[in-house]
Amino acid sequence: MAISETITTAIGWSAQSDATRAGKEAAGLALKHLPLRRLPIVAIVFGSSWLDPRALLEGIHTVLGNVPVVGQSTAGEIRPEGPTTHSCVVLLVASEALGCSIGVGERIDQNPREAGQQAAYAAMRALHKTPRIGCLMFMDGLVPGSADVVRGIQEVVGTSSLIVGGMAADDLRFLKTYQYANRQVLSHAVVGLLLGGAGKLGVGIEHGFAPISKPRHVTRAKANVLMELDDQPAALVYEEYFGVDTVNRMREETFSRQHIAYPLGIQCEAANQWLLRNVVSFKPDGSLACSGEIIEGSWLQLMIGSRDLALEAACKAAQQAIQSLDEIACVIVFDSVARRKLLGETHAASEVAQIRQIIGTATPLVGCYTYGEQGPFGVTSIYGRSVVQTGSVLVVALGM
Amino acid sequence: MSMTLLAIWITALLTTILLTLWIDWKTRLLGLFVLFGSLTYLAAKAEHYRRQLTSLHRLQNAYDQLDRQAKLIIRTDIELHRTQEELDRRLSSLLSLHQLGRQLRVSLRPEEIFSKLDAATVTNFGFSKSLLGLCPSLNDLEWCTCLGVTPETSANIRTYLIEKHLLKNILTNPAPTFLDISSTTHPLQRQLLELLGVPTAVIAGVVPHAGPLGCLLLGRTHRGLIQPRADEELVAILTNQLAIAVENSALYEETWLSQRKLEHKVQERTHELAAANTALVRLNKAKSDFVSAVSHELRTPLAAIKGYASLLNSGQYGALAKPQQERLAKIEKHADLLTKLINNLLDIARIESGRITMQRQWIPVEEFLTTIHEVIQPQLEAKHLHYDTDIDGITQILGDSQQLQRVFVNLLSNAIKYTPERGHIRMRWQRDLEQKCLRAAITDTGCGIPPEDLPKLFQEFYRANDPVNQQIRGTGLGLVLAKRIIEAHNGQIGVESHPGKGSTFLVTLPME
Repeated sequence: MAISETITTAIGWSAQSDATRAGKEAAGLALKHLPLRRLPIVAIVFGSSWLDPRALLEGIHTVLGNVPVVGQSTAGEIRPEGPTTHSCVVLLVASEALGCSIGVGERIDQNPREAGQQAAYAAMRALHKTPRIGCLMFMDGLVPGSADVVRGIQEVVGTSSLIVGGMAADDLRFLKTYQYANRQVLSHAVVGLLLGGAGKLGVGIEHGFAPISKPRHVTRAKANVLMELDDQPAALVYEEYFGVDTVNRMREETFSRQHIAYPLGIQCEAANQWLLRNVVSFKPDGSLACSGEIIEGSWLQLMIGSRDLALEAACKAAQQAIQSLDEIACVIVFDSVARRKLLGETHAASEVAQIRQIIGTATPLVGCYTYGEQGPFGVTSIYGRSVVQTGSVLVVALGM
Repeated sequence: MSMTLLAIWITALLTTILLTLWIDWKTRLLGLFVLFGSLTYLAAKAEHYRRQLTSLHRLQNAYDQLDRQAKLIIRTDIELHRTQEELDRRLSSLLSLHQLGRQLRVSLRPEEIFSKLDAATVTNFGFSKSLLGLCPSLNDLEWCTCLGVTPETSANIRTYLIEKHLLKNILTNPAPTFLDISSTTHPLQRQLLELLGVPTAVIAGVVPHAGPLGCLLLGRTHRGLIQPRADEELVAILTNQLAIAVENSALYEETWLSQRKLEHKVQERTHELAAANTALVRLNKAKSDFVSAVSHELRTPLAAIKGYASLLNSGQYGALAKPQQERLAKIEKHADLLTKLINNLLDIARIESGRITMQRQWIPVEEFLTTIHEVIQPQLEAKHLHYDTDIDGITQILGDSQQLQRVFVNLLSNAIKYTPERGHIRMRWQRDLEQKCLRAAITDTGCGIPPEDLPKLFQEFYRANDPVNQQIRGTGLGLVLAKRIIEAHNGQIGVESHPGKGSTFLVTLPME
């Protein structure tokens, strides 16, 4: 049976500044592109943080009625034509062979692990009899503890289940992000979309950064805070590379090009594998707050990124995502906002175009720019599971 | 390495023991040999170890050197990134300004203009919060666009700006001001930044020539690259654009309203003129009908007067005394004049009322001119005038032969009348192929017409106040009739004159 008969997808987009109208327009266009008599089982929504989320969902529901809706606010949206901002993208999935359920876990700032479990339980309850394909998660990108949320979900759905997703963003304002679950607009929450049935998910995640410094030993770290490297305050080591003036400037900046151009890479067991962490802020005691968990005892290197490496990584991720699928129904891209800043507008567009070349230009593609990505990383026993990554491009392909 | 060393030391120890315990010289020799061999091997190994240590040291140095180079690369790259980031921001700001400018050009009202500052533009300028409002007065403010702030925050900021008289300051000193929470010493500015929830912001007034109009506040939630001058310049351009757009919209509105007023007035006047024209046409027709009717009524008794005067003068009713004959001759002469006047009036009335239509046909020019010449011949001879014609190869003209004869006879008679004896009169015809018409010019060497009389020349009963007219009687209708006939041919008639040198009457007749 052809994929078009099993899973049908359609995309709608709107750049209206009025959120309700944007929601209506995007959902309306998506519905218009869906073949008649195919009822959508879920709508995945990526909306700019500049759009009022409640009004946006209201507009979408006006058109889609009771179709389940999941999604999140972004730092930029991706549609087949390329990256965009201040807009709304809707992906409708219609299939009789697929099943889906939505679970919500709240207060991840207080108890992230429990929130992850809560979301996974809720989703599992509604889909307990169907074989699971994987779980798409939409999580607040401004709250630490994302690794615990992923652990919480893994504990419920099992480590063998694919858990992928991106962290909600707010157009680099770092004020508040939103997660959408049906008619609910949430913050500090995780929304899980559990997919089950006869489909398959293909995943590829790459970052394209290369090490530039010598390896440093993480002698003290807790959660996402890196305290000491080689028994020295982490900020001191940072200063060695960047110079005191630059580090002082960086202390005042949030997410500047300097922060994202040189992430920290945690060496994995497998050769040439690094988990990336961005330095989010400098603490007065000389420790560094990072965008993800830092494992004490691990080895860490300063990484350098370039446009060529970033584009190469996107192509690799797209190839990885589709290699296990015979047919592709649609592709969702969770791309780090750090990469977008690094690439610049022209090359960001080129990145989307290159992904489309690989997945096929006729394949529907949507996505968003995130504050972090979750996906299976590497092939070793520790990193084979879903982990929180930053500075990466995660390509998720739904197909057969 | 350590295992090898241990084996050597054990061998050396055993050899020493053997040397000590056994006295057999062969055994001693063997022991010495083993000892020598072991020491040689040990020396070789030590040398190899030393070399390895040197290599390791070199490797370590190279590694550290590479790390130092990495630091240099990073620092250089950082500067490049910083420059690139600033350039990107400037570029996106300029592009946004350009796009905004295009949008503002098509906006007509200040509210509409102010609503064009959308989230995409604000983000591209590098800001994350924006408040833009209209100020009806120096103490009043209504936000038009609030981006990235809650309604509560915008209301609080509005109240704060008004109550602390900051709004008045901004509108009287509209140049953009960069506010930085880490450096400002002004408590009001600090509080404003706190209300907006940002570490840095730029505030400026929008002040077109007509006076203060609005207030703009742009805030940045993260410190980022702080470029106060660049931010102030950008905001200055933005507020200028807004002010210019508002001015343009006001001018456009003014122009549009004036145009509307003008159009309305033109319409009113057109209606009035149309009504007046209708009335005039009606009046003119009534006048023509009246003139026609009266002329008819006058002509009959006039004919009787003239007939009886003629009969009496012929002596049929008895001989008349000389004074009687003279009086009767005057009666006849004046009756003729009156008849001519009435005929002319009748013709004018008929042409105006459309009762006479021009019988247009091709007229042979030679024949036409000969007929005219025959009519004016006696007058020419009486004054010994030189008359010539130039027809420029024209063979025929299109028109009503009889009516055109009246026109040219009239014009030539006038020329004769006003040209002194032995003067020159010339009739010249020309073909205008471009305009598809014929032009006839009748030029005399007469006394000419004063410039002030020229415009009135074709008015009914107008006669120029000159010595000739005082001696020669005329009806003042000849030229009027000529004009009506030419116009009925879709032609034109005009005059050029130089007093004391002569006049030229110009007639244009269409060829189609």
